[in-house]
Amino acid sequence: MPDGRDDEELLAALGGAVKARQAVPDWFVETGKNAYAWHDIDAELAQLTYDSDSDADRGVAAAVRSEAASIRALTFTSARLSVELEVASDSLVGQIIPPRAGTLEVHTTAGVTSWPVDEIGCFAVTPIPASPFRLRCRMEDGTDVLTGWITL
Amino acid sequence: MRDDPTVVALVNRAARGDPAAWNEIVERYAPLVWAICTRFQLSTHDREDVGQNVWLLLVEQLGKLREPAALPGWLATTTHRECLRVVTAARKSERLGTELDDASQFVDNTIIDEEILMAERNAALRAALAELPPRYQQLLAMLISDPPYSYAEISATLQIPVGSIGPQRARCLERLRKSSALAGLGDVSWTEGNEHA
Repeated sequence: MPDGRDDEELLAALGGAVKARQAVPDWFVETGKNAYAWHDIDAELAQLTYDSDSDADRGVAAAVRSEAASIRALTFTSARLSVELEVASDSLVGQIIPPRAGTLEVHTTAGVTSWPVDEIGCFAVTPIPASPFRLRCRMEDGTDVLTGWITL
Repeated sequence: MRDDPTVVALVNRAARGDPAAWNEIVERYAPLVWAICTRFQLSTHDREDVGQNVWLLLVEQLGKLREPAALPGWLATTTHRECLRVVTAARKSERLGTELDDASQFVDNTIIDEEILMAERNAALRAALAELPPRYQQLLAMLISDPPYSYAEISATLQIPVGSIGPQRARCLERLRKSSALAGLGDVSWTEGNEHA
């Protein structure tokens, strides 16, 4: 049989647990719930294979470019295609390699926008989407590739 | 405690496509993610960034978690890593040097372990509270309120005599201890470290 002190401790612990939940704003919880929309997306995943901003890749970039370029460059690679991205001042430009036409979807937590990819695989997205975002490449030849989440 | 069957069941259900299970995972562990962001003193914008990334990463890992029971640990270390990422990015943009040159880049396992333990305990306590009849929940809510209600206020609100609040409180807590949500915790001390909650 618990004594009075045990009751006090349990009550205090309960108070702490409830307070910890109350400290979390609703929007924070909603963000987590909304993430489930990404469950079971049937597209091939492309991994980030190059990032001009990462420490590991900076040495490579410095060797390739004569001076430290301010443009951020990213490459995502999957078995069937690569996405090369450059972050310009007000837009996101890039190319699908090997080149082919199709549609580029930009997915943010707020929704989806679609952009054309021309015959040589080039696209431009204006303005730069809010982070985090991910790109889904739906090509005319049926290739469907999704990048990982990108935070700029 | 790391083998909490509730967590394993929730992860498996969410991996099979049950959105209600996913929502419950988020409800249970959003306070853990939030508390770690608070430890890093992140801005609202950075918390949003970290929160989004952590849950998006979890969605992709759902079917791949080797130990579903270790979910709280996975969430804590992933949140910690995401917090370090935004802190590092902020330092870079402020040109305070590109290296994280202090101890903050090393994961302090003692703090994380404590946060995981607290998160599991708090989730179990909240689940136990939710299992109680509404009247018991109401009484306990008034008893743990900060600032606390006086017995006179509780008596007036819940329409019970002041003299029976003590005995009812004892009964509520007894029910709480015997709830299935707390049964999984075994014999625990309630005194340790709620200040991190």
